[in-house]
Amino acid sequence: MKYNVLLVALFSASALFSVETIQETQVETIQPITADQPYTGEYENTQYAALDHQHIAQTVSEAPRAQPQPSEPVLSQREDMLITVTGQGVAPMNTSSPAQAYALAKRAAVADAYRMIAEKVKGVRIDGQDLIKNMMVKRSTVRTSVRAMVRNANVVETTFKEGLCEVEMEITLSHADFQ
Amino acid sequence: MRSRDGNHSFSRRLSVVLLFSLALPLSASEYLISYRYVIKDALLYNESLTISQAMQKCKGSPYRELILENDASKDLKKIINQNSETFINYLHKLGLSVEHTEATVNAQNKSTTTLTLKTQCFKVDFNDNFARISPLK
Repeated sequence: MKYNVLLVALFSASALFSVETIQETQVETIQPITADQPYTGEYENTQYAALDHQHIAQTVSEAPRAQPQPSEPVLSQREDMLITVTGQGVAPMNTSSPAQAYALAKRAAVADAYRMIAEKVKGVRIDGQDLIKNMMVKRSTVRTSVRAMVRNANVVETTFKEGLCEVEMEITLSHADFQ
Repeated sequence: MRSRDGNHSFSRRLSVVLLFSLALPLSASEYLISYRYVIKDALLYNESLTISQAMQKCKGSPYRELILENDASKDLKKIINQNSETFINYLHKLGLSVEHTEATVNAQNKSTTTLTLKTQCFKVDFNDNFARISPLK
């Protein structure tokens, strides 16, 4: 009788441990999918360590997953790709002449167009952080950054109206540029 | 060449002068140029173009030359100032590094974009009517 009770206790203990391991594996498999990137393990045991595993699994499964758009253009070896962007720049208030205002606004617009080309070709890094205290959003921060090298971009058209300069730029990408 | 009094000072001086006169033009037509401008919140914040003569001979072969008008001057800074717009467009074509950071804190946005041409060696040929500028790679 004593042995039977002991056996039952052992079975129940092993059953409990098996449930916990399943929850952990669920979390590990879901995390890389939400990032939509190959899992690097950068955030492992840092951000989610203090949180409940079951809670993470639920939140992650509810988040919308970004799917690649079928109509998104892909650079192929056979044909080049033309990218067109429009950059905007503003003239400063304290300029000595309209010509100077135009020149400065155009410089800013060209830089904006370069940034847009870099964003389209290389992509943007986005970091977000929300601080919530007593169930209220105290601070919401979104940081984006781009780093790229752009060459052979051409200015197609420049317009200047009411202090705003718009520069239309285009760049032709070929497969050989990335080899 | 040995002088009558037997010392070598004349020939030494001559060889030194010759050496200097031949070595100077080798690096005289090479310049180091860098360009950078910063845009903050869609406004031009800072722009700098630095030009200096190379003190050492640069390596590489010239490519993608630019021809600027010149009135018999050998001052590159002056020539570039006279044709600044053409030269800046040319630098854009050569390629600039783009660095952009943007922060939105509680729906208030701030952005900084920096375009940079890292210091590069350019070969410059001065002629009577034009100056030929080409980067070395």
